[in-house]
Amino acid sequence: MLPRPSSNIRRSLLCKLSRRGSPHVSGRLISGSSGKMPEYDDCDVVILGGGPVGLALASALSSNDTLRNSLKVTLLESSDLNRIRDWDPPPDAFSNRVVSLTNASLDFLIEMGAWSHVDVERTCPMVDMQVWDGVSDVRIDFNAATLGISARDGSNQMARIIETLNLQRGLLRHLKKYTNVTLLDNTKVENIFGDDILSGGWPVVQPSVGRALRARLVVGADGIKSVVRSYSKIDSYGWDYPARAIVATLQHPPRTVLFNTTAYQRFLPTGPIAFLPLSPTASSLVWSTSQALAAVLAKADPAILASMINAAFRLPELSVRYLHERLLEAPSISLDDLRAEIAFREKAHAIPPHSALASVDVQPNDTIVGIPDQGAEMLPPLVASIQPGTVASFPLRFRHAESYVGSRTVLIGDAAHVMHPLAGQGLNLGLGDAEALARCVQSVIMYGGDIGSRTALMPYSRERYFENHKIMSAVDKLHKLYATTAPPVVWARSTGVEVLNELDALKAGIISAAGGQSRAVGGESFPWSTVANGLEALVSGARVAGAVGSGLKSVAGNILQQLVRVTSDPGNNKRE
Amino acid sequence: MLHPLTQHPFLCIARSLVHFPSSKNAKCHRHARDIFPRPSRPLSRQLHDRPATDAPPATDQPPPPVSTINDDEVAHFSRLSALWWDEQGEFALLHKMNAHRMRFIREKVLEVRRDERSPDGGFATAARSSIESSPHALEGMDALDVGCGGGILSESLARLGANTLAIDASAENVGVATRHAAADRSLSALSFRHASAEALAQEPKRFDLVCSMEVVEHVDNPAAFLRACAELVKPGGHLFLSTIARTPLSYLLTIVAAEKAFRVVEPGTHTFSKFVDADELIGFFARPLARGARPWISRTYAHGLPTRAEAEVRGIAYIPWRGDWVLAPRATTPWSTQANYLFWARKPKDNP
Repeated sequence: MLPRPSSNIRRSLLCKLSRRGSPHVSGRLISGSSGKMPEYDDCDVVILGGGPVGLALASALSSNDTLRNSLKVTLLESSDLNRIRDWDPPPDAFSNRVVSLTNASLDFLIEMGAWSHVDVERTCPMVDMQVWDGVSDVRIDFNAATLGISARDGSNQMARIIETLNLQRGLLRHLKKYTNVTLLDNTKVENIFGDDILSGGWPVVQPSVGRALRARLVVGADGIKSVVRSYSKIDSYGWDYPARAIVATLQHPPRTVLFNTTAYQRFLPTGPIAFLPLSPTASSLVWSTSQALAAVLAKADPAILASMINAAFRLPELSVRYLHERLLEAPSISLDDLRAEIAFREKAHAIPPHSALASVDVQPNDTIVGIPDQGAEMLPPLVASIQPGTVASFPLRFRHAESYVGSRTVLIGDAAHVMHPLAGQGLNLGLGDAEALARCVQSVIMYGGDIGSRTALMPYSRERYFENHKIMSAVDKLHKLYATTAPPVVWARSTGVEVLNELDALKAGIISAAGGQSRAVGGESFPWSTVANGLEALVSGARVAGAVGSGLKSVAGNILQQLVRVTSDPGNNKRE
Repeated sequence: MLHPLTQHPFLCIARSLVHFPSSKNAKCHRHARDIFPRPSRPLSRQLHDRPATDAPPATDQPPPPVSTINDDEVAHFSRLSALWWDEQGEFALLHKMNAHRMRFIREKVLEVRRDERSPDGGFATAARSSIESSPHALEGMDALDVGCGGGILSESLARLGANTLAIDASAENVGVATRHAAADRSLSALSFRHASAEALAQEPKRFDLVCSMEVVEHVDNPAAFLRACAELVKPGGHLFLSTIARTPLSYLLTIVAAEKAFRVVEPGTHTFSKFVDADELIGFFARPLARGARPWISRTYAHGLPTRAEAEVRGIAYIPWRGDWVLAPRATTPWSTQANYLFWARKPKDNP
């Protein structure tokens, strides 16, 4: 067993030669076979990807004393991180890439000290969330104050909305303090290979510049097309949704009575349209819709997009669908023609010209005068304009890696899972991965384990895999549930939501399950007790629903079941 | 002399069932002798078969070393040596167990160190927490891993800062372990030798920490083996063992389930009659190991358990649906030690 056949050594050296093409290096490698190590730089952890999740992991591995003193970390990023470090936009302009950080994610950032490097002025608390069915208009209202959801500092908020760049810049500033992390930006990964004989099976990462790194553990934070995942031969399953999401920064007048701290989401059959507050006069749009419409909207005059957004939140589904068809037929429709169409639809639906549901004849700036119309708080403010250069679109996908752990490799964030953005959970799951991985690595170090071994990383994958899968599939089912206009389904989902809307305890449970509750405030027993109370009420609710619509019981049951799944306790990580 | 059939495991189960669970220390030892007479090997398994006066005298008059190595066992593990570091293969359970036994070692060593500090608060909270949270809890200690196999435990000991020597009776194992550790440049304080505990005891070097995990149940003469291990411990040093109790439960788990039914372990890895009960180990260390020496365990309490400062037994069980081991809490009944267990004992400071 001990000496390998020399032909093997020769073969692998040949591979090396052809792979790296440098006679100088391979000369060293030959001496390696006689017992000397080839000259790679050794590194404990190599993180591929400098997105928010990769940077958060690097921060977590350096802000803890044990980890900082035990680990040498290198992060490789292909883009230029200085562009993020030097990012300094005017206070009223916002990037179109925005995320909502749950209170659990915020706790993680605060605990490791990274949050203090974030420009908090540019973030916005999400205190209230209005979600409604585009077909039946049945609405559910999540309010942090009524549901008792609060952040670490005690303020009532469900999440905090932040530009991805602000978060990344904060993490980079935080990392500046620590010397155990080396950030190599403008550096692509040319190859990852493992050589049984010369590197002991450890993966060797060959960057486009600089020496090869032999890593005890390679972390794939490198997104949906992860090279770490393909090196590890881990498959991922999933599909592409036949939809795209349009993002943009929206400018609107300030609200007179309310603060701009409410997020709005309307589930249209073509996909949800969401409005996320950023500042009193700016908010962010995430609108997932058909690929064809997304293409037209992304190219259209920003004023047309603004009118379409206002209409999409306000007009009945029938008219929204008509407007979409109209735009697809005539993508070059003029703004005046479109406004005339919208005005006609409003008149046809008997919407008074100055009600909250009207958008054509109202000048957005007029809404700040006087008392707002009845129901104004149920709708986002009228969009006046789109911040120039912020309209973009991206494809929507569902992917889940079959395993998070390979041979001295581990996947986090989008490399492990990609989901529909409708619940704003993608980055939060990624931050949860980074936190769990850092915790796992710390405990391995305390007990003398090898952080690259599969056994050592098992607790990480056990903690995250099913947790992530649970949320991912709930969000996917939610998307599919709302993509239909079939009356029985609409009725059933609306009944389910109406029942749910009356059950504060269950709503609080949903938000907690999605990381809404701060650990520092909630205490251990909170989610369980609320879920238990909520379930009890839900069971009776289901009975009522069943009695009302006798033949449709099972459809309603499915939705309720779905909601129950979302509410299962977030602390119950150990469950297989 | 008993008929060979009396050694059949099923008969053993039948007999032990008759004796369990009422058997206490003394009774238990008698029945151990009854079941496993092994006339050809007088020292085998009967850890208390010899009065202390017969024990080999202290190191100044070394007896000819008795080899406790079983050639069949060495051949068995040599055959499997290539698989030591396949974490999903033959030794997966051992890999999973490692973190738990390391935790036991770390916590026990820290606990003793804590007890040693002056009780008047000479041990400031800050200093204490820095030790407790240090990733190098064994810094400055000399550790010996007896029967290191592929070096799973040895590498961990070295990572915690111990200057570690690891020995094994199989040259193949030593080769695998050496090669595996060589890939990790952080393991410079770790060395391997093809040697037996008895041979090493002939040398002057003594250790702060002697570990022999999952080995006692594979040697021929456990009493002599334990005596050699004990001798290698410095006065005031630690001896950590882990093994399997000889009970119906352990037969069911380690031989019927693990080897025969689910094949998670190669059949023939364990020999039921060689398993050692926790109270046999306690009894062994409750007697003087050499003439005139103080016994390691001075007294025992309820269930025959020693004080926490002298020795400790903790059950460890594999929970299949969790895919992991669970270390039983300290305050459990001896029922937790009916199968796999960890054992720790400390050599008295005034014991040469």
